[in-house]
Amino acid sequence: MPRRIGIVGVPPLTVIEAINRAGDIIVDLDEPQVRAAIDQTAAHIPRVYCAILRTVVLNCLHLALDQVYVDVGPGKCDCALHVAEIVADMLAVPVIRTRNQDTHAFGHPLCVSTLPLVEKFRRITKGVQSAAPYPSMEPCRPTCGFWGVPPRDFSLLALFPDTTHIFGWTRCMENKTPADLDLERVVDPAIPTVFFSQSFCAKAALAKHLAAKHPRAIAVDCDVAAGSSTRAKIEAFLELSGIEPGPGRDA
Amino acid sequence: MLLADFGTSYCKILDTATGDGPRIVATRELDRAFRADLATGHNAARRSVRSINELTALARGGRHLINRPDFVLLDCGSRDIKFIRFQGGEVVDMGWNAECGASMGFTIELLSTYYRLDYAALPPPATGFSITCGVLGMSHIFDAVVSGASEAEAVAKFVRGIALNAHRFAHEPEELYLSGGLCANPLFVASFPCRVHPLGRFVLLEGLRATLAQEPIPAATLRGRP
Repeated sequence: MPRRIGIVGVPPLTVIEAINRAGDIIVDLDEPQVRAAIDQTAAHIPRVYCAILRTVVLNCLHLALDQVYVDVGPGKCDCALHVAEIVADMLAVPVIRTRNQDTHAFGHPLCVSTLPLVEKFRRITKGVQSAAPYPSMEPCRPTCGFWGVPPRDFSLLALFPDTTHIFGWTRCMENKTPADLDLERVVDPAIPTVFFSQSFCAKAALAKHLAAKHPRAIAVDCDVAAGSSTRAKIEAFLELSGIEPGPGRDA
Repeated sequence: MLLADFGTSYCKILDTATGDGPRIVATRELDRAFRADLATGHNAARRSVRSINELTALARGGRHLINRPDFVLLDCGSRDIKFIRFQGGEVVDMGWNAECGASMGFTIELLSTYYRLDYAALPPPATGFSITCGVLGMSHIFDAVVSGASEAEAVAKFVRGIALNAHRFAHEPEELYLSGGLCANPLFVASFPCRVHPLGRFVLLEGLRATLAQEPIPAATLRGRP
């Protein structure tokens, strides 16, 4: 019987390979896996905290898991290091901390593909569960950039055109080198770019810093769900950059 | 062509086919069947053939009205505050606050009615309350009145606090252009700690006009009725 293994962040490739070899099922705890109010986590983790890590705790409250891997190194964040303590105390199963410093680059064909942005993100986040190389894809000529982590609320991605290239930690994620700060810093100054961070995330500092240096950029953040003001800022930024925004709620 | 800025408290409507200027209708009195050709604001998507978001309208209106490459334009509405910063003729920063800037305009109007105050007759106070939104800020007024301040003094400090908060939200420029109904409130305008150029309440309509010039709506799709 396959075991259900929870993962937080991007554990090292050797871990993913071992899980795949054993035929176990990977559950990505960074993503909403249950339909339950996120405030249920308030007894375990502060309300004013990264929504991704609150989601991890929410998933752990509801899911039956056999083991959990939490990446706590430079490829994730200090908050994950602390949340690993909480999860370890909550669950009666092994919680294993990893420090992913993989350097073998898998490339980032999805980040520059012609797929709708939501689909790019779906495939990249799903790709964490596999150690297989990517099939080659036709790159598109970019009209827009999205820098940052995969947002907790994918619906805001529907505002962007299919010709959006992905930068930042999501690109590192696809490349399977989540601790690669040099890759995370890469931007394209020729295209208007939205620098996204989750509210209360340490990466907001880098997002704001890079946005300030970029000739045509905006930094936005978003907590559990994308509110109307976040959507409006992105929509206006795209419109004023000559890009027709999408409907915004397709995801 | 019927253009509309659907505000929370007031709707600003312009019929470009007539030579008349814009008209202002209290939102609660607007015919529920009213539809515009091009609109912005709350429920604009449902109440118009085509809509654009308020930041876009603000930026286009500001660009049209302010003949400068670098400026900050702040819009203070009934429910929220927005700003756009231009540099070298391009939008380089913007913000929209519907939470911490909530209900500023609405609360200021409500207070003048409740306390029967004329904002034109109130001098700006030297200091303001430290407040972040209209609703939470009201408790400061009650506290000040209980402590012996006059209602007029307390409300004036509240208004100054609101202006300081809006100025901070726009990243504290030395000079700003102001739009929205609060342009007609002398106390509010004088409470900013910087040079202020009030543009009035029709900047978003100007943005709609500029949008129309840029991207005309095909005649076959027009459905607006006054």
